[in-house]
Amino acid sequence: METAPLDKNTELGRLLNRLTRGDNIDECLTCGICNSRCTWFDGPGGPLPRQIVRMAALGLEQALVDSHMLWDCLICNRCTQACPMGITMDLVVTRARGLAAADGQIPGDIRKGIKTRLELGDVNGLTTEEFVETVEWMSEEFADEMEDPEARIPHDQPGCRFLYLPNPRELGINLMHLTAMARLFYAMGETWTLSSHHTDVTNWGYFVGKEDVAKEMVRMVVEPAEALGIETLVLSECGHGYHVLKCKAAQLLGREPKFNVVSIPELCLAYAQKGILKFDPDVHPYEIAYHDPCNVARKSGGYEAPRQLLALCCHGVRELVPNREDGVCCGGGGGILQDSSSTKKRMITGKPKADQMRATGLKHLATACLSCHRQLGELSTHFELGMKVDTVAALASECLIL
Amino acid sequence: MTSSVDSVLVLGGGVAGMAAAQTLGDRNVRVHLVETADRLGGHAASWACMATDSCRQCGACLALDMAQQAARHANISVHLNTTMDTLKKNGPGFDVRLTSGKRIQAARIILATGFTPFDPSVLSGLHFGQHEKLITTARLNQLLKEEALAGFLGNAAAPDIAFIQCVGSRNRELQRDFCSQVCCKISLRHADKLMHLMPDAAITLFHMDLQVIGKETRCLAADLSGRIQLAQGVPAEILEDRETGRLRLITEDPGARARTARSFDLVVLSVGMAPSPELEMLAARLGAGPNVWGFFNTSDASLPDGIHAAGCAAGPRDIPGSIQDGRIAAAKVLADLDPARAKTRDILVWGNGPQAVTIARNLAERGHQTTCFGQGDAPDGILCMAPEKILSVDGVAGCFTVRYLQDGVCRTLTCGAIIAAPEPEFTPAVLRGPVAGTIDLAAFADIPPDRVPESVAILLDYSGPEFKPFARLALTSAMAARTAGRQVTLIMNKMLVHGATGQQRYDQARKAGVRFLRINAPADIQIEKTGTGFSLTLDEATLPGIPVTFSCETLVVPAARVPGRDFQKTAGLLKQALDKEGFLQSANVRHRPVQSPRKGIYFAGPGHDEVDDADLAEELDAILADLDFSGPSPEPGVEINQKKCAQCLTCLRICPHHAIVLNDKARPEIVPAACFSCHLCVANCPALAIESGHFSTDRLADQFQKDRMVILACQRSAALAAGPLDLPDHIQLVPVPCACRTSPSLVLKALLAGASQVIVAGCHEHNCRSMDGSTTAAREVARLQTLPGITPDRVSWHPVAASETQRFARILLDAGMS
Repeated sequence: METAPLDKNTELGRLLNRLTRGDNIDECLTCGICNSRCTWFDGPGGPLPRQIVRMAALGLEQALVDSHMLWDCLICNRCTQACPMGITMDLVVTRARGLAAADGQIPGDIRKGIKTRLELGDVNGLTTEEFVETVEWMSEEFADEMEDPEARIPHDQPGCRFLYLPNPRELGINLMHLTAMARLFYAMGETWTLSSHHTDVTNWGYFVGKEDVAKEMVRMVVEPAEALGIETLVLSECGHGYHVLKCKAAQLLGREPKFNVVSIPELCLAYAQKGILKFDPDVHPYEIAYHDPCNVARKSGGYEAPRQLLALCCHGVRELVPNREDGVCCGGGGGILQDSSSTKKRMITGKPKADQMRATGLKHLATACLSCHRQLGELSTHFELGMKVDTVAALASECLIL
Repeated sequence: MTSSVDSVLVLGGGVAGMAAAQTLGDRNVRVHLVETADRLGGHAASWACMATDSCRQCGACLALDMAQQAARHANISVHLNTTMDTLKKNGPGFDVRLTSGKRIQAARIILATGFTPFDPSVLSGLHFGQHEKLITTARLNQLLKEEALAGFLGNAAAPDIAFIQCVGSRNRELQRDFCSQVCCKISLRHADKLMHLMPDAAITLFHMDLQVIGKETRCLAADLSGRIQLAQGVPAEILEDRETGRLRLITEDPGARARTARSFDLVVLSVGMAPSPELEMLAARLGAGPNVWGFFNTSDASLPDGIHAAGCAAGPRDIPGSIQDGRIAAAKVLADLDPARAKTRDILVWGNGPQAVTIARNLAERGHQTTCFGQGDAPDGILCMAPEKILSVDGVAGCFTVRYLQDGVCRTLTCGAIIAAPEPEFTPAVLRGPVAGTIDLAAFADIPPDRVPESVAILLDYSGPEFKPFARLALTSAMAARTAGRQVTLIMNKMLVHGATGQQRYDQARKAGVRFLRINAPADIQIEKTGTGFSLTLDEATLPGIPVTFSCETLVVPAARVPGRDFQKTAGLLKQALDKEGFLQSANVRHRPVQSPRKGIYFAGPGHDEVDDADLAEELDAILADLDFSGPSPEPGVEINQKKCAQCLTCLRICPHHAIVLNDKARPEIVPAACFSCHLCVANCPALAIESGHFSTDRLADQFQKDRMVILACQRSAALAAGPLDLPDHIQLVPVPCACRTSPSLVLKALLAGASQVIVAGCHEHNCRSMDGSTTAAREVARLQTLPGITPDRVSWHPVAASETQRFARILLDAGMS
């Protein structure tokens, strides 16, 4: 059998041991805890987190770059949650992916998406003209819907309190969602705007470990937002987008953005607590389960706001078991959902989630990430769970008392 | 001198607190032993006996023996359901008010509040508390003690059982970056016990680095290998299999590069130690500054003058270690209160290795007249001699006579105590290959780091489980070389992280860039000699299927520790047993860690156990705690009636404690200071010349009644086990000092008195304080059973430990029904 020469002094090794904690692979205790926590559970294939760390720590860079484990990892950090040395798996994997990316191993869809996003500002390739046309048309429809000629979906308005950063799907296949969010802003009675420079909350640079790309994508969000002079950037429900803009933006940019960052469910909850937003839970006269998006919950600490908002909008919130910091990934994390060739694999990675969903015996599930939302919907269909999957903010909008 | 107001307050009535109290009480110091629970004994008293077909040296039984002695001790006041309320400094001592309202003037305080098991619900992924069959080692102990495990498992004959180690230990993220020291031993014993109870059970022990340390554990681990599965890598999530209700763990499949799910009927979390809640409460009142872990085992922890910590309050320890620590704390208090009381003695250090010299130097510094068997320069105050041959060791504690040959002349040395500390042999490791040119670890450690070659590999666990001090030495010298900029690789099967800072030391070495490679077995390494050094190819255990290769200039392999060639002879001269591996000192828990059944003879250093420098200092403290302030001799309660004595010298020959000597009239005489009062001599004197105050044959026989089931129960084990039982009238418990007191004639007397049956019950094999008392009793009972009319349902032998109350009840119930 071919043997791999150990070489500690590799680019990856240097990269991963730069920090004193977090991505400190040399400190791996080889306790094996991570292996038992992997969100693939006992599904066939998938990564062994310890082997990833050990390959990185021992400088077996080629073996790691060639390994399917790198791209099977959902970078959900479930293993990290229990690591006694605090080794942060998403850093290890994304940086190793960054090396692989140099080798041209990025899945085709993701490579294409990144290119489009960097060129046009939108991963789906929406041009500024198309954006303006779509939003202005939607704004007219929105005024009709609200029966208020003053009701608008504004764009590129300087000096607003809020700038809403949508998910590209809200300007493509899921326009209704954007209207639903507009209802929420309308009810808050605050000034808000969209930006033609801001059509996309996603950051696929993070998935592939290309720090320069991730930084550029953050810059593309932050600088125009600052130019508009907004107070708070409101993020659409997007897990990794939230994690990057909330937890990583300052590090990537080398400075703090000059505005606050919240997600739309967090904002809604705050306005509900002020008594400005009111909801009618009887619109959803059922108990609903809540799925923690890994990026929002475990990786960014956003556990409670979506639950609290959901509790105002439905007849009770049921927990999936396990949840919160031990929550199970939907099976679509780490860029796997964005790779159209991975559908079959996603039904393997999603099996534990589907089992959890089935165990609730409920017909309704909500989450706070549009990627999870899509994956969970597909799981419901594939595993014949008969569960309707919604996002928290969409449900809130549905039962808004105006 | 201590006065009535000069009492000592011992906080905590576990084994450490009781050992401290007993030591002080025996030296006539008034002790207040304060315990929050409603009984003495601490955790150890509630733990199950781990004996299988013989004692497994867990030490749980000792707690019950000690609790009884402490409760009866004239100098010990026991305060139960109580803790310290207020404390005021008063000169060098303290004014203390207890929660009971009682006021105590304490000259010194010993903090022995023990530990609390780590609460696994802190680790949310374990889902502890959500499944009945997910338990901790503490709960398993309880189930075993109550004989309730089989029922708990639905009487499954072949259950699948998992042990998960290091739950709440070795975890920097939890601020618990220390090894709890005891859990691997406990789980190995548990696994052994479960295999004994359920031979068809399938047991998997998931560990990070199995801490195989100490003679007891080495033997047990060797005995268990092949019977249980040892799996490196600990699962941190326990799932429930909804269909079967069993517990599922995801683990790495060692054969394939994949994960696999395994299902178990029972999962036992081997939880680490945390400081007791009482200590957390008391620390501020005492002005104590525990370290970040809540213990006092690192230099950053502090205790005010006059307050000493002992046992697990100081840091994680096993039962024998805690007892020893309690005694050491008591000795410190004694030395503190009345330094003049310390006696000096003539002490012989038997051995010539570096450890023996260290011991001798320490003894000399403390004013003891010290002789050392060994060559070399004699430091001040030490007499060094190298006899050609040692001929005999006679006498008892306080007065040993050692005859030896020197310069062809037979000479005599007298001494009060002997510390047996001979050097084991270290045989150079022989590489499979064979490859020459490796360096021994000890030699490597002596090379200044800046003279170490550019790349070094250290190969541990090559000749069997690594000798503990070598694992430490490997880590420190690897670290030194790494700090000097060298490329250092350490290859091991498991890393030993013993000691308070063992885990931190290992963490630091990894962080510094020492490369650690793990192998499953020595056969997984191929070593070749190259022009510039060595080329190593190995199957790294964490990367199956990717053989890795690297080269180094220097290859370091520790020597293997084996018993010295003269150990057999030394043990023979000292009249002591060797352990299973051939090292000095039997594993008998009644005398471990440093004592022997022959008073005045102690063991120290690597000749008897895996002792490093830190351990050696502790061993010496423990020996001196016993020597410096020896209390009054206990009354043995046995005496030789010289008128009846036929001078056959049977007693002298059989005494397991060598407490019978020939006096100047050449007649046998019992030396109280050396006697453990086992009564073996009483039971075996052909002339019936040895008389006993409490346990004479007549006195015992007087208790026998017609139609009763008579239990002759060792007062150190079975009688203690029977204590909590409400025995029915037809059962008559007759305590005896040791099972060996039950001679055939005594049993026959019971039958003649009309006893319906006789049960002889004593310690498990290898647990008897008098070494062979149980085996002697078992043999005598077996011999009786060969007599006509004596069937096993009339006379039987049962080993029953003090902690086996439930088991004893079942034995009695079964016997009553037959």
